[in-house]
Amino acid sequence: MKIVLDHLQVQQGGWSLLANGTFEEGIHLVSGAVGSGKSTLALAMAGFFTPSQGTVTREGIKTLMLSTQFPEFHITRLSIAEECASWELDYTEIIQSARLKVDGNASPLSLSRGELKRFHLSCILAREYDLLLVDEPFSSLDCIEKERLCRELSARDSGITIIFTHEQSIFPHVDHLWEIDAGELCALGRFPEALTQWQRAPALVKKLIDLGRCPANLTPEAIREAACRIHE
Amino acid sequence: MQDPRIRLASAALISVAAFISIWGALAVFLWWLLFTPRMRRVKNIRVITGMLLLIGVIAVLIWISGGDGLSYFLRFGVIVLVGTWLYTEQKPGEFLAVSVWAGKNRWGFELGMIGECAMQIAELLLCDYARIRIAMKLKGENWGVRTLVPFCLILIHDALMRADEIAELLAVRGYRNGGVCCPVFCIGPLDRVSGICAICVFFFSIVPVSEFFILSM
Repeated sequence: MKIVLDHLQVQQGGWSLLANGTFEEGIHLVSGAVGSGKSTLALAMAGFFTPSQGTVTREGIKTLMLSTQFPEFHITRLSIAEECASWELDYTEIIQSARLKVDGNASPLSLSRGELKRFHLSCILAREYDLLLVDEPFSSLDCIEKERLCRELSARDSGITIIFTHEQSIFPHVDHLWEIDAGELCALGRFPEALTQWQRAPALVKKLIDLGRCPANLTPEAIREAACRIHE
Repeated sequence: MQDPRIRLASAALISVAAFISIWGALAVFLWWLLFTPRMRRVKNIRVITGMLLLIGVIAVLIWISGGDGLSYFLRFGVIVLVGTWLYTEQKPGEFLAVSVWAGKNRWGFELGMIGECAMQIAELLLCDYARIRIAMKLKGENWGVRTLVPFCLILIHDALMRADEIAELLAVRGYRNGGVCCPVFCIGPLDRVSGICAICVFFFSIVPVSEFFILSM
């Protein structure tokens, strides 16, 4: 199971992004500045944006899901119960997992942005997909929810998960690191070696690397461990 | 057509002409063929096809019930083409410029701003349409009567939310009424000719066809 980007070029107006590489099973983090083309790349990888050049090949992928940055973009029904049914999910379980205090008849569009994001992510993460593309999953979430989401994403043990984000503080366990820099997607490799190549690494991670205490991963536990170097 | 004043006036005249009679609709169609880029600049051809199909279905129903379905299809089909041309040619700020030119800085500005907001919402509706289609594809949902109602209600809801946000933004910025705008217009080489032809088409549609010919037995 893999997704191959072969000289992929996505273009919009005067802006363009070049992408080459193979995404295999595991959790991938695609980092890049705001406006660097992460969302467009995610759309192209899901097959919803036609590239100006190159190809996207999905091998052995039977089920695909794209979670866009704005949760309201996924709403197609007028009540929470109907919306969950459109995902083939039971709304009582989703309301519980999203920690919402509403009933099934409430409109999903009446929820706040943060609540809607939690609701949407609960729907997405309730099912297994061969390819899961999540664009800015941490936006509109507070720190507690970000950590909760990271635990859920880290728990995914099969398929390809690709997280597109400019997040700089809280991350899930990541296997492969990618970075969009100067209009090009660069494969930085596996952890922890990839960390030294990361241009937009969070300040704390950079400081730890400078001090020779490179963290094993990006999870809060790995960062704490590197900072304290507490070995059991 | 570069001058938005001539474009809007022409569109208004030929729309009325197309509505009045089938001969007017045919004359407008000829005008559309001669003076517009036709379908070359249309971004979303599916929407236009859908609208024409809908008019076609209504025309068939009229025909079945004994009415003149062909006339309905021709007249409203041509109006859709004129509307499409007007929409694709429209640039941001033009509606405001024309309104201020016609109605000055108080009422003209108000009307122009409402028109600009409406144009912006129409543009965003197309974006909403595209993203709901993606959401439905991701869920594996198909088009049908069951999905059509929530689809339309979500579009309306989003449009109303945006209108509310724009109103709040204007209020926060201290807007009460009117404004100042100094529009500048550029007249293209064919603008006057197409404008005069639009006036001719309008008169052609309101004068009975028999008046143009000497009918003798």
